[in-house]
Amino acid sequence: MELIHPHTKGDVIDVVREANAAAHRLLPVGGRQHMDKGNPYEVDAELWTTQLDRLVTYEPAEMVAVVEAGMRVGELNAILARDAQEWPSDAPEEATVGGTIAADAQSPRRLRVGRVADSVLEAEIVAGDGRFVRSGARTVKNVAGYDLHRLCAGSLGTLGVLVQVALKLRPIPELRRTLHVPGSLLVGERLLQGVPAAAAVLATPGEVEVRLEGWRDEVERQTEAAREVAPGLEAVDGGPFPAHRAWAEEPVLVEAAVPASAIGTVTEVAGDRWGALLGVGLVWIGLEDPGDALAEVRARVTEVGGIAPVVRGPGGLGDAPLPARDVHARLKAALDPNGVLAPGRFWGGL
Amino acid sequence: MADVDGARRALEDALGTSEVLSDPLALALYARDASMVEGGCALVAFPREPEHIAACVRIAAEHGLPIVPRGAGTGLAGGATPIGDALVVCTTKMDRILDLRPRDRLAWVQPGVVTLDLVGAAAPHGLTFAPDPSSQQSCTIGGNVATNAGGAHCLAHGVTSNHVLALDLVLSDGRIERLGSEGPVGAGYDLRAVVVGSEGTLGIVAAVCVRLIPLPEEVRTFLLDFDTVEDCAATVSAVIAAGVVPAAMEMMDRGIVAAVEAFAHAGYPTDADAVLLVEVEGAEGAIGPQARAVESAARAHRVRTVRQASDERDRALLWKGRRSAFGALGTIAPHYAIHDVVVPRTHLVDAVAGLYEIARRHAITLTCVLHAGDGNLHPHLHFDAREPGARERVLAASEEIVRLAVSLGGSISGEHGVGLDKRGFLPLVLSEDDLAAQACVRSAFDPDGRMNPKKLLPSETRCVELTPTPQDRSEARWS
Repeated sequence: MELIHPHTKGDVIDVVREANAAAHRLLPVGGRQHMDKGNPYEVDAELWTTQLDRLVTYEPAEMVAVVEAGMRVGELNAILARDAQEWPSDAPEEATVGGTIAADAQSPRRLRVGRVADSVLEAEIVAGDGRFVRSGARTVKNVAGYDLHRLCAGSLGTLGVLVQVALKLRPIPELRRTLHVPGSLLVGERLLQGVPAAAAVLATPGEVEVRLEGWRDEVERQTEAAREVAPGLEAVDGGPFPAHRAWAEEPVLVEAAVPASAIGTVTEVAGDRWGALLGVGLVWIGLEDPGDALAEVRARVTEVGGIAPVVRGPGGLGDAPLPARDVHARLKAALDPNGVLAPGRFWGGL
Repeated sequence: MADVDGARRALEDALGTSEVLSDPLALALYARDASMVEGGCALVAFPREPEHIAACVRIAAEHGLPIVPRGAGTGLAGGATPIGDALVVCTTKMDRILDLRPRDRLAWVQPGVVTLDLVGAAAPHGLTFAPDPSSQQSCTIGGNVATNAGGAHCLAHGVTSNHVLALDLVLSDGRIERLGSEGPVGAGYDLRAVVVGSEGTLGIVAAVCVRLIPLPEEVRTFLLDFDTVEDCAATVSAVIAAGVVPAAMEMMDRGIVAAVEAFAHAGYPTDADAVLLVEVEGAEGAIGPQARAVESAARAHRVRTVRQASDERDRALLWKGRRSAFGALGTIAPHYAIHDVVVPRTHLVDAVAGLYEIARRHAITLTCVLHAGDGNLHPHLHFDAREPGARERVLAASEEIVRLAVSLGGSISGEHGVGLDKRGFLPLVLSEDDLAAQACVRSAFDPDGRMNPKKLLPSETRCVELTPTPQDRSEARWS
């Protein structure tokens, strides 16, 4: 296995073109935080983007930062914090910006901050054929052309190598607070009703964590609203969210995505190590091994029209059907005609 | 060669005689949208079910007709303007809200549902559909999806793309595929994301699953006025820099205010050079700090008066001023052209100064309304088309306006789209390879180019593959 460390976008273009010429398969790699996500595949070399880590421009009054894709999430947020802003991906500090986007990593605050891909305003990619392609614009609104960059978000590096992105940022809230409430899905649902603007309501088998963020008065009043539902709640200001991740301690981590109202049908077969984002429909499930338990979760998820990829450990993405499979195949063939980018890693064996 | 008669008979069989129009008056009515471009069509069909759309697509293909989807026809870029022997597929009779599920915070709707009707249906559940284009009283969800519509309130909530979870798309071969998912993530590439904003060039949307968000507990609306456009624009940047993202920040220049005030009597100060309509919203307790930050940013930039809407009626009146801006402008000159460009918001001052300079050079009256928080400018060029040379001057100025926005780091369209109107300008912001990749997306969905042809991309754009040159091969790392 060869490890290649390009220093410039031009280097990336060269590497990808050379891989095409030599029929070698490449895996674009960032901070190695989402390596297990995907179906089993083999490559001849890893293309590390970690040397592409410059901050290109950052104007706080724009609330937009342009960074090279190999910048670490921790470094980016340290820079933004000086101006009280954040890129709310909540990915691990060692993750790269590009890797976080390519893996479509899910923020536990998604109810409030939305999908990571929604924050990508513009992207520069080196497509699988070595073509340098830009799409989007460095403005919060832009409708000039198709949002090609949105296809790369979540593509697991199978269409192109992300080399630079413009990110829409958010102000860091004045106060962040987690409410700990004994109970599970039922009390969680009542809390979501009582505090509809919460940043997250995370239910686990024995406890609900409600994340509040915003202006101090706002958070205080939301706390009072939550107290009407759950008088015994415990409030902790600051701190990480979630405070506990029991599901992450197991060897296999599944990230099920279902309609929010179907969460209960998934957790029924999820064992005792799970966390569910109410109002969102994400359920993280920790399993000891990818055997029957995973099959059972996937069967249940399929019934409600969801997916259940494994994001850490073995187990792959699952066999959910691809919509418009021919469109998928033509896109892959157009952008990566020789199949050099992690062939087989993506859904449907793409 | 297009067989219009054969297509008409087949459509009448599939949809019913009353749902197909081919008389000259109808064809003239549907030959254009709200843009300035006049087109032409051969047939107009009104599907009522997804299967009807699929039939339209198949019949058009069999009889050699290009197909042009259309909602309410409020688009300003010519995206729904048909060309040649087109079959116009008008979705306005597909106007049912199919399923509204408050617990999932979503609704499935047909494409012809009027945007404001969806807002009204969601409200009793404490929810709302955030995108609010100025035409929300008449435009349709299908059109919102096609143009990735914006509006005054996308500053805080984002554009249509952020509010579409899934959609049923009729592909160019008549197949119906569900893209996206009701859950937070689906399998495969995010095809939904490229269909939003694709102006009907990738297929026709037969149903949309929209995200609904909780209505804010509180809303407060301010009208600020300034002696200079510069102070007004600087206030916008200062508010954002202070860590406050209002729900909306709408700026209007003196010319707009004069026209609006005469029309809506909203109490806008007509002696100010610029006014700023700011709306902050949120949960209880979130309003005070935002309002204070807005006021302090405005005072630091010499605001003349700060008027706060006293009640819901007053708030509606302030918004009536803004929302009637387009309608009020007929009083300035017989004709006007509306533009839509976007710049980074810190360049608003340069952009506005540049606009007036362009107008002065071409001897055109220009007024400007801006979604200032988004850096999205809507300059209006007022003219009398009967005056010799006026149209040409407007076209020349229009091109300069687009070039100005691009030179300031912006883009050719913020929310109205490319359509027919701006496809010639795409090379200003996208390279040949960028455009080729765009064309690849199009042909992946519609290999034969049947769906709304000649829109969105410049006509010469092709999806070409780049193959390594022999030189590249000789230097290959693994050779």
